Formats: sequence, C-alpha cells, structure tokens
Amino acid sequence: MARSVWKGPFVDAYVLKKAEVSRESGRNEVIKIWSRRSTILPQFVGLTFGVYNGKKHIPVNVTEDMIGQKFGEYSPTRTYYGHAADKKAKRK
Amino acid sequence: MARIAGVNIPTAKRVPIALTYITGIGPAIAHEICTAVKIDEQRRVNDLTDAEVLAIREYIDANLTVEGDLRRETTMNIKRLMDLGCYRGLRHRRNLPVRGQRTHTNARTRKGPAKAIAGKKK
Repeated sequence: MARSVWKGPFVDAYVLKKAEVSRESGRNEVIKIWSRRSTILPQFVGLTFGVYNGKKHIPVNVTEDMIGQKFGEYSPTRTYYGHAADKKAKRK
Repeated sequence: MARIAGVNIPTAKRVPIALTYITGIGPAIAHEICTAVKIDEQRRVNDLTDAEVLAIREYIDANLTVEGDLRRETTMNIKRLMDLGCYRGLRHRRNLPVRGQRTHTNARTRKGPAKAIAGKKK
C-alpha cells in the first residue's frame, strides 16, 4: 500500500541537514549517507550523495528524473558474476 | 471494412469487441468509446455508417494514445529507467522480473526457456 499523502515524503532528518550544509558551502563533494530508505526530494537535485550499499558508498548524482524514488534504488546491494557453469560452457 | 487508428481493420464483430483489436484499447475503454459516441454495443462494425466510424476515429484521436504512439511511449519509459541506473532499470537490462518476484524458480516469462546446466548429473 502506498504512503499517505498527508504525511509527506519520508526523509531521515540527518540527510536533510547534510544536504543543506553542503548546499550552503557550495562545494561539490560527496555527501555520505547510510539512509537508503530516504526519498529523493527536489532540493537534492544537482548534489552528489554517497549511498551506502552495505560495503561502500556508491556515488549517486541526483537528477530531476530521480525525484520521488528512494536513494537505495541507486545503490545495488548484490553482486552477481554469473554462474561458473555458464562461463565454462561459453569457453568451449 | 473499417479502418480505425491506422492499420487496424476490425471485422464483422460487435463494435466494442472489434475495438479491442487496437493496441491500447481493452474492454473498458471500448465501452467508454461506445457510450461517448452513442453507439449501441450490440451493433456490428459492418453496419456502422461512415459518420459513426468517423466519430469513433475522432474520439480516439482526441482522447487516447494507441498503437505506435503507445508502444513508443512504453519503450521510452523503459529506456528512461535503464539510463537512470536505478534498480528497476538494472532488472530491465538483465531481462529479469522487475517487481520483486522470486527468480530461484519460475520467472520463465522474463528469462525465456530454461537453459540446461552443463555437467549437472542426476
């Protein structure tokens, strides 16, 4: 079920604060965040976030199309190199 | 023979049924069209007058995206997701289910026919 509109989008407070600080400083540096569950808001456009995937912070350059989705969508948590058997079959 | 929305030539079927032969028009929208242009749903396509066919054509042009335009829109939407680098886009790129379904078994619609695993013995 979708989230109630009256609550507004969910964003962890520290993400907002960090974004604000970096916007004011004007420097274009990666903002490290762990909050994959936060919604991407219009005021984040143009900033670069380092979204944690459980191992590393993946740099995500926020564009207009991303608004309304969550940060986690842009930082995949699984690595998949394919099956060993498939590779063997291809070599032959 | 009636030509509606480009190449589609529905047959001697009832009007709402014939309209569903157009991509982007299902039973619900076909019904909506019939009420909008005031055509009895029991009538067949081959006894429609030219004016009625024209009315249907105009209604579709004005209110709906169908056929090529619709297909283009869908592929554009998928392409957008793929270019964005988001999870849904990644799933589209790999031809895997996009909406969180299991892939341990099943998911054959997306993955295609099962491939034999070399060296797997029973």
